[in-house]
Formats: sequence, C-alpha cells, structure tokens
Amino acid sequence: MMSETPSQSFHHQKPPFYRDAIVVKWLFQLGALALVVFALWFLSSQARDNLAARDISTGFDFLSIDPGINLSEGIDTRPATGGRALWVGMVNTIRLATAGILAATVLGLFVGLARLSNNWIVNKLGSVFVETLRNIPLLVQIILYGAILANLGDLSYDSGWDNWVIWSNKGLSIPRVFIADGFYQWAIFMLVGSVAARWAYKSRQLLHDETGGDTYPWVASLGVLGLFAVIGWFIHPIFGWVGEVFGAIGDGISKIPEEALQAALSISAVLFAGKWIRNFLRSRRTPGGPAQLNDDDKFRLVFSGVVSGLVILIVYVVWPGLSSWMINSSSDLFGVLEDKFGNGRTGGPFGVDRPEVIKPGKFEKYGPSGLTMSIGFAAVFFGVVFYTAAFIAEIVRGGILAVPKGQIEAANSLGMKRSAALRTVILPQALRVMMPPLGNQYLNLTKNTSLAIAVGFSDLVQVGQTVGNQTGKNLSVFAIWMLFYLACSLTISVVVNFFNVRLKIVER
Amino acid sequence: MNEPTILKVTSQSEEVSRSPREWVRKNLFANIPNTVLTLVFGAVAIYAIRALLGFILSGERRWGAVATNMRLLMAQGYPADQFVRVWFTLGSLMALTGLTLAAWRAAGRLSIGKISIWVMNTGAIFALFAVIAPISWASRIGWLIAAAILLSIGLGLWFGLRGEKKRPSGSVPTVWFAFGLLGVLVLSLWTVPFGHYAFVEGEFIAESGRTVATSTKLPFTVMWLILIGAYLFGVLIRERIPGSRAKGFLIALWFLSPFILNWIVLRDPDFDYAHIASTDIPLALLFAIGGGLALYLLSKPDLGEIGRIVAIGFLLFAVFNWIAAFFGWYPMLQKVRISFVLLALAALISPNFASDRKTRLRFVTGWIVLIAVSHWLVTAINSPSTLELQGPTYLGGFSLTLFVAVLTLLLSFPLGVLLALGRTSSMPIARVLSTVYIESIRGVPLITILFFFSNILPLFLPEGMEIAELAAIVTGYTLFSAAYLAENVRGGLQSVMRGQYEAADAIGLTTSQRTGFIIVPQALRVSIPPLVGQAIGVFKETSLVAIVGAFDLLRIAAYVVPAQTEFLGVKREGLLLISAIYFIVAFSMSKYSQKLEERVGLGER
Repeated sequence: MMSETPSQSFHHQKPPFYRDAIVVKWLFQLGALALVVFALWFLSSQARDNLAARDISTGFDFLSIDPGINLSEGIDTRPATGGRALWVGMVNTIRLATAGILAATVLGLFVGLARLSNNWIVNKLGSVFVETLRNIPLLVQIILYGAILANLGDLSYDSGWDNWVIWSNKGLSIPRVFIADGFYQWAIFMLVGSVAARWAYKSRQLLHDETGGDTYPWVASLGVLGLFAVIGWFIHPIFGWVGEVFGAIGDGISKIPEEALQAALSISAVLFAGKWIRNFLRSRRTPGGPAQLNDDDKFRLVFSGVVSGLVILIVYVVWPGLSSWMINSSSDLFGVLEDKFGNGRTGGPFGVDRPEVIKPGKFEKYGPSGLTMSIGFAAVFFGVVFYTAAFIAEIVRGGILAVPKGQIEAANSLGMKRSAALRTVILPQALRVMMPPLGNQYLNLTKNTSLAIAVGFSDLVQVGQTVGNQTGKNLSVFAIWMLFYLACSLTISVVVNFFNVRLKIVER
Repeated sequence: MNEPTILKVTSQSEEVSRSPREWVRKNLFANIPNTVLTLVFGAVAIYAIRALLGFILSGERRWGAVATNMRLLMAQGYPADQFVRVWFTLGSLMALTGLTLAAWRAAGRLSIGKISIWVMNTGAIFALFAVIAPISWASRIGWLIAAAILLSIGLGLWFGLRGEKKRPSGSVPTVWFAFGLLGVLVLSLWTVPFGHYAFVEGEFIAESGRTVATSTKLPFTVMWLILIGAYLFGVLIRERIPGSRAKGFLIALWFLSPFILNWIVLRDPDFDYAHIASTDIPLALLFAIGGGLALYLLSKPDLGEIGRIVAIGFLLFAVFNWIAAFFGWYPMLQKVRISFVLLALAALISPNFASDRKTRLRFVTGWIVLIAVSHWLVTAINSPSTLELQGPTYLGGFSLTLFVAVLTLLLSFPLGVLLALGRTSSMPIARVLSTVYIESIRGVPLITILFFFSNILPLFLPEGMEIAELAAIVTGYTLFSAAYLAENVRGGLQSVMRGQYEAADAIGLTTSQRTGFIIVPQALRVSIPPLVGQAIGVFKETSLVAIVGAFDLLRIAAYVVPAQTEFLGVKREGLLLISAIYFIVAFSMSKYSQKLEERVGLGER
C-alpha cells in the first residue's frame, strides 16, 4: 500500500539534520526526559505549596511521635510511636505472607496433582476448585470469608471439638505445641537415631544392589527413626550426664588465660594464610616450573597476607577485649547448655496447650492457651491461600504437562514405579518450568495481603492508612509502603532466583 | 500436540461410544487406591454440596435483601424515571452484539448429540440436587419430576434423531442455541414471581403489585428481541456490503460505544444549542476542511522535506498552545487545542500515506471522521448533566464496575503499548524511564496506588484545579494497569522475529511504518491471550475501588445493603450473589480466551 515513488532517489545523500536518525533519537529522548523532569518538578512544587497552605509539614518526624491509635492485633497493639505502629504492621504483613505462601504452595500442589488424576471425581473436584476460586475477585472472597467467620456464633464451652479445635466469632483456635522440659535430651536420642537410620538406609540399599529385590530403604530408615523417637520419649532422662559434660567444658574454657587465646588466634590466622598461599602457588605450578603470576594473582597473595595481619591487629590492638569476650560468652553458652541438658528434666519433649474457655466469650489467656487466628487474619489468610492456590495449581499442572512424554515413557521402560518416576524424573524437570511463574504468584500473594484493610486486620497498609489520616503524612506513608513492598519483591525474587539457578540444567 | 496421556484423563466426550459401565470402572474404580479415592472424595463432594445448598436454602437466609435491592446493585442511584436511558444503552449493546455476531459469521454448529448430552447432564444434576439437597419431600419430588422430564427430552433427542452411525445426526447453529437459552431465561422472568419485600412491623410481606419482575420482564424481552432482530438484519445485509468495511465500522462503533453511551445517553447532557450553532459547528467545519486540505497537500508524494518541516511546525504550534493556555498568555478553546494536536500528529504520519490519489483521499476522510467524532465528544462531555441524582455519581453498582473496567482497559491499552515499545527500544533514556515506571508500579499493591490517587493526588494539583473522585480512581487504575499490560505486550514484541525488522528495513520502511504496520500487529497477535487474561484481572480488581469509596457492585453488596434498616447485617447473601456475577463474567471471558488461543494458532508457527 505504500509504494515507493520513482521521484524518491536512492542516491547516497545525507538526510537533513532533523531527519538524521541519531539526532531524532536523542532529541526525542531528551524531550521525553525534560517532560518527565518538568512534570515531577511541577507536581512537587505544587505539593509543597499546597502542604504549606494547609499547614502540613512533610518529612518523617511522625515516626517518633505518638500516633494515638490502637491496632487490632500484632506484637504491640498500643504502639508508642508512629514508627513502632508501622513496624507492627510490617510484622503482621510478613506473618500473613509467609504463612500464606507456605499454605498456598502445599494446597496448590495437591490441587494441581488432583487435576491430573485419572480418577474422575478427584479430577473434577480439582477443576471446580480452580475455576471457581480464580474467577471470583479476591477482595469479594476476603469479605465473604470475613462475614462467614464473623457469623460463627459466640464462644462458649461447647463450641468446636472438645477444646482441641474451637471455632467461634473470636477466631479459629488450635492447640499450641511447644518445646517442653525434656526436649534437648530427646534431641540427643534423635541425633543418634538419625545416624542409625542412615546406616539402615545404606544397608538396605546395599542389600537391594546385591539381590535386586524390594528392600524399602526409606521405610526402614523412617522406621528406625520412629523407634528411637518413641523409645526416647520415655527414657530420655538417661542422657542427664550430657549436661555435666557441657558444664565441664564450660569450666575448662573459662580457665583459659586471655593471652593464650590471643596467641592462638594470631598463630592460626598466620598459619591459615600461609597454607592458603602455599596451596595457591601449588595450583599455579606448571610442568615447566612455577607459572608467571599476573597482577590479579599477586593481589590475591598480598590480600591474604593483609587479612591475616588484620586479624592480629584486631586481636591485640583494635579490640583487646575480644578474647575475654569470646571466653566469657562461650563459657556462658556451655552453662546454658548444661542447664538445658542437665539432670532432673523428666518431662516429655513436647507439651500441648489447648485453648481453654474459662467463661463464654473469653479464653483463659489469648496467647499461651492455644493458637488463635483472629477473624481478620483468618479471612485474609483463607482468601489469599485459596485464591493463590488456584493459580499455583494451574502452574503445577502446566509444569508437569510440559515434561516431554518421552521422559515418562523412558521411565516406564526402565521399569520405574509411578511414584519413583514422579519423584525422580517428572517433578525435577517440571520444577524448572514452574519456578518463575511460582515466584510471580508469591509476589502477588504478598501484595494481595494489603487487602486486609477490608476486614480490619492491621497489616502495613491498614496501619499506614490510619497513621496517615491521624498525622496527615499520607505522602510519607506512601513512600514507606513503596519501599517495603519493593523490598519484599526483591527478597522474593532473590530467593526464587537462587532456586532457579540451582535447578537449571547443568550444561557441559 | 501436547497431549501427554499418562497423567491426563481422557475427556468425557470421546468416550460416548463406550458403555457407561466400562466408563465408571475405568475412571472411578480402576484399582484399589482409586476406589478408595473415589469413595473418600465422593463423600467430601457430597458433603460440600450439601453444606453449600443447606447454606443457600436455609430459612435464615434472607434473599429478599438481594431481590429487593436488585436495582441498587445494578444501577445504584440512577433516577427511576430516566431508566429508559439505561434500557436504551443495554439495547444498543445488544444490537451491536447481534450485528457483530452476523458480521463475523459466528458459524459454529452444535451437534444434536452434544445438546442431548447437555440436557441429560442438567437432568442428572437436578436429580442429584433432589437427592442430596436438604429440602422438603414435596419440593424434592418436584425436582425429581423436572429431572425426569429433562432426561426424557435428552434421551428422545438422542434416540429420535439417530443417524446412520450410532450417533444422532444433525446440528444446530451455536448462535441460535445461545439465543434459545437466553430466551428460556427471559421466559423464566415472566413466570417466576419475585416479591417486592417491605418491612412492616417486624415482618416481611411480599407486595404483589410492584414486583421486581414486572418492572423488568418486558424490557428484558425487548432486549432479547433486539438481539435476535439485529442478528437477522446483519445476516440479511452481510451479503450486500464488503465484509472488511462492515467489520471496521463495527469495531469503530464498539470503540466509541462507551463514550457515546456513557457521556451522552446515560449522562443526558444539556446542550447549549446557540453556542453549538455559533461556535462548535463552524469550528468543526473549519478543522475538517482546512485540516483535510492541509493533509491532502502534505501527503503529496513529491513534497520531500517541506512536508516534514511543516508537520514539525504544526507540532511546535500545538504544544505551544497548551503551554500558553497553562500560563494564561492567550485564551483558546480546549477543543481547538486538542484539534491542533491531532492535526500535528496527522501531519507527522502523513508521509506514510504518500501514494496515489485514492490512498490520500482515504487518509483525508479518516481525518474528517476523527474531527467529527472528537468535536462531538468534547462538546458532549463538557455539557452539564441534567440528571437529578441522590448519590455522588450517576453510575453505581454493576454499571460502575463495568464502566471502570472498560474505561481503564481502553485508556491503558495505548499507554501500555507505548511503554512496551519504550522498554524494548534501543534508546537508553526511553528504556530506563519505561523500565523504572513499569517495575515500580508492579512492585506495589493496587490498593496503595488507589489510595495515592484518591487521597494524595489533590495535593499535587495546582490551585483551583479539582479532580472528581471517580476520575482520580480511573486515572490511578489506568496507570497501574498500563504497567502490567506493557509487560504482556513486551512478551509479544520479543516474539517477533529479527527477520521481520530486517525485512521491513530492506524494503525501505521508516521506523514508524515498521513499528506501526509490521512489528506491533504481529506482537499484539501473539499477546492476545495474555491480554484477555489481563482484561479479566482488570475486571475482577475493579472491586478494589470499593475500598477507596466508589459505589461499585462490591460496596453496595458489602456495605450499603447491610446498612439498610430492613436488612441490617445481611451481608453474606449479597456477597454470594455478586460472587456469582463476577464468576459468570470472568469465567466466560476465560473460556473465550481459551477458544481464542486455539484460533490464533499459538504454537503452530
């Protein structure tokens, strides 16, 4: 449609300057930059004028002033400063996001596998779960769950199942499991047990290699571990002497003179550097004698020497108290260990605290008696978990379907069982496809926790909104929101990238 | 192509020829673990359905709250005596839908076999419902009878129309099947008695006189007839006019419909006819004729560099007008300033149309249409509304949800494409600016952006300038959605082969021609499925505007209805209803996107 006309000559002639690609490009870019800078300058000057006219100062001084607000829940429900209030909000957001990510991953994995099942009912249930939950807006779900939970009925003696699980309009409560008296001695049992379990696994594996029969190494090792756990539960006090050993070590450490430790640290630093240099030089040796060292290598040699010198400098001059601090703190540590592992600890390794209703509408204590999810937390939690799980299920399904059929056939032809093929062939390859979109979903979940404001749960956005309205510092609060969520995004993408790199195909 | 069979269940429709017993054995009781799974999850499913039905049908539920407030949920404070405007809007959309279906030759056909299976499935669901729903025995028998009727219809279709092979032959056009289904829905409005509930002395009474259904059943029937009529009309005339022109015309109508239907039909502007006759029409004529002449001259093939210099001059003048208006150096109508910007842009692209007479005339025609539409819109938008409102805006409820979603999508689309082009371009400053914008917007939750625009934006505006709450929200939402849209388009841009760029360069296209005619169309074609997904997301997340105070569907269901004295605290019913509404819209869009994905033929190239 755009035919070239003959009059347009194809001679080599320089275009006029305003059509020179370079000039046009840079003029355009500088113009765009100027426009953006002008807009930002203009808006900020307007904001300054408007704020001055309304007698509001910008800045972050509100962080250290009492905002006079109460929060619905968190590590501090009556924060003394604005900064503390925002910190409580951040902790609540992180709590919600972490719990949500864990739960959504597990649920999403199961639903995704269900959608691949051969069983018609399981398959259809998975489909209904995914299609329903991902097509209803998250905010609607959160408010709906909040409304349903708030209508659960008052807390009374007989709500829930016999003080194990309690649901009421106070929230959802489950027993709290905590580490009790005998835990550390029981942990020694488990340590021994895991060594034994490893041995059992190895020997069963060996037997399998010899005979070729089914020897169930995993079952055997888990059985051994379970056996140790059960026996340890009852007879763990026999390890009472471990505490005395720790005590003796602690006493021994506290008797070491300060000078001896200083000397030992210095000598070991010098020895370590010397050894590193020797190894390095050895690695550069070629059959024809020592290789020429380039500047980079020389720098490394000098650097290791400097580091050892620095250690000596710190030990003797910069921080002479370092050695006594090390001696004291390690003897303290062993003192604590002596107490933890000591004699006379006869209770079980774990204890359970059930939520206890002392009168209708009131738990014994909110914290220690059982774990209670408040209505707000539960509404947002279930909302983001269900919603994200629906998306994760699709990612899991897509990832597994993306594994080439030949891989599965190859596993089958090797005679692998379905579970083994799934574990060792399909999932590792599927994970590689799943990881990037999974990271995206984690990001979305974290950002979606900000909808907590709809049910009054004190997350960062809700607290920030309240603080901003109280102090008029909405702009500063917005900056903090942005920084916080960007930091969360960065953290999650760093973690996901770490796994991504680990899962990559190693190309030779 | 990607049908790994080992982990995937074979779809049900392929198994029609197999006997039911075999199907059940294979899919439900293949081996012992499978049987256990079937029993456990069957029990779970039955329990869940029973619990849900029990919740919905329980005597404590007050569905009257929803039925009575249906108008509030759909079109909040719109004056009842002006409701004909709402119906006109809906009717126009129906007519457009019908014409579009005809022009695009929605020619899918449904086999009778499939329909009979659907009917039988519905019957089976009814039977299941009758068995497990916690309802009285009388209604249980009623449901069973309905199930039996449906099952016998299905069986009759199956066996009555059996062809030469074992399957029934014959088929029905999908469009007519859909029309029929809608017809059944409309018909049900005529029979099902909705009550108008009133709260009198602690008791609810259903007034028979003013029922919801009586006020809407006639208009809905008219809507249905308009849909069918438009389709038939389209089928009649589609042979007489060339398809491409009709399609272009319909696309333009769809694009313009939100502007016309919202700002003109629904808002009922009060036109100042004297001003229109004395100023608006002459101005429009001036720009249409003068601008058209200028563009015709500028698109002369042998004009050379002069054309570009003139175009740049236009651009400088147009930009200067805005600066001058901003600082108040000389007054000029907003409409004139907009027209000059449009003229400058048209002049800049005019060398692209430097060709024979016909192409140039088409270009000028496009310009005249653009001027007519933009002047008409500016006039209509700037005329004050004559509606007498109780609420803050004339839109509310579902209509506001739709309005925000459609407007956000329309406005964020060009911005998103520009951002994507910026992010993939070789110009460093443009790239950095777009990347910083996209990433910082994508890093924060939508709700903080909405708070920013509804609370903080007024601080940034110059003295005396105000922005309506809804406009601020739509602005923020548009800027947010554009960043996500840009990422979708970027995926498409990256999938365009290098060879396409090189080929465009080789035939001597300019950068703008290459981008506009070669690269962007191919990129958009690839990004259609993610863009539809994005559209679904935008539609769902309009619910967030409820938090910042707009009266959308969610706000009315969650905060307005439960605050009425008759229905104090009745929240779950409304929320369930709007969940269903959101679900129906989002689910059908996602199904459509799956169809589209097949048709676009991704993965085949």
